[in-house]
Amino acid sequence: MLQLKQLMHKSLLAILGSAAIAASSIAVADSALLDIAKAKSDQCVADTKEMRANHMEKILHQRDKTLREGIRTKQHSLKECINCHVEKNSAARFGDNKHFCSSCHNFAAVTIDCFQCHADRPDSDKKHSLNTSSFPHYADNSAEGVSK
Amino acid sequence: MIEKTINFSRRSFVGKTATAAAGISIAPGVFLHQVANAKPADQAATSEVRWGMLINTNKCATGCTACVSACNEENGIQSNDRPESDPQWIRKVKLRDTQTGHVTSLPMMCQHCENPPCVDVCPTGASMKREDGIVLVDKHICIGCRYCMMACPYKARSFVHETITDQKDYAPRGKGTVESCTMCVHRVDDGGTPACVEACNAAEHGAMIFGDLKDPQSEISKELEKHGGKQIRADLRLNTGVRYQGI
Repeated sequence: MLQLKQLMHKSLLAILGSAAIAASSIAVADSALLDIAKAKSDQCVADTKEMRANHMEKILHQRDKTLREGIRTKQHSLKECINCHVEKNSAARFGDNKHFCSSCHNFAAVTIDCFQCHADRPDSDKKHSLNTSSFPHYADNSAEGVSK
Repeated sequence: MIEKTINFSRRSFVGKTATAAAGISIAPGVFLHQVANAKPADQAATSEVRWGMLINTNKCATGCTACVSACNEENGIQSNDRPESDPQWIRKVKLRDTQTGHVTSLPMMCQHCENPPCVDVCPTGASMKREDGIVLVDKHICIGCRYCMMACPYKARSFVHETITDQKDYAPRGKGTVESCTMCVHRVDDGGTPACVEACNAAEHGAMIFGDLKDPQSEISKELEKHGGKQIRADLRLNTGVRYQGI
């Protein structure tokens, strides 16, 4: 019984240890990634955690709505992602580590084909207006007074 | 032989019936009528409208390629100096009557059929028709098999053979997919007019009219009612959205 307890104790330590190593490696990766690409605005359509986990769901849903039904809301459109996250005439193109999308996708080794067809840089350097009635891009944050 | 098989919308039918029954009019002959302007961005395209074009070949100037260059410019279509494989959404066609010598010039592009053969043959569902009659390719699911190119009687579709960079952000285009005239759907959804029509007007030819075929008050419907318009290969019964006069 004692042996079993010791064994459990050891394995628990091992698990905790490996978790700590994993957490530290994530932290390193995180800070490295955060340095790379900045958005033009401080606010995204959802918080960073949500966007990192689910951005693909949002733009996949939007793509069918836009192409097949002609619904052209901007909140989850890929065009608006690029408008905000990439500078006009940016030297970093998709594939470069400094391009917003590829900075993460290169790291995670997830191949995407969005930019075989879509523009990887915005057409203009105009930043869209925030929190207008016709453009509820940041509706969730309206109470915070995000407009800058 | 003029064939006009455009179905009028439920709205116009309801409108006429209501007007007849209750006499809802501001003044004699003046009726409240909703003009098909830009639809709100969050609303889907509906079958209340059917977008179409009417081309008067008598006004279309031989040798003028304003519509073609406007289309290329608008949608970012660039030549690779390989005309055999360069994509082409609109082209000028010259017809010569051998008996009279009369030369007709017209632009040819996707005819935005009501019953599009390209949609029938597509194995993935990529080739599709929007509710408002605009025929498009969903490049997200196009596998580049090119069946639609074979099926199209108007030779309106192109396959993208080469890698494309610096696309317009409103007109995604890429290698390995089929593409064709979108009737400038990004402009239409914004209440605008296709680039070719705009260029034709800017060149002061005015040979192209764009509008809602289901709205009896639209310029295109009035012109069709007055002077008619032919479908090319009307025998195929595709009910094209693009009609021609003078052929």
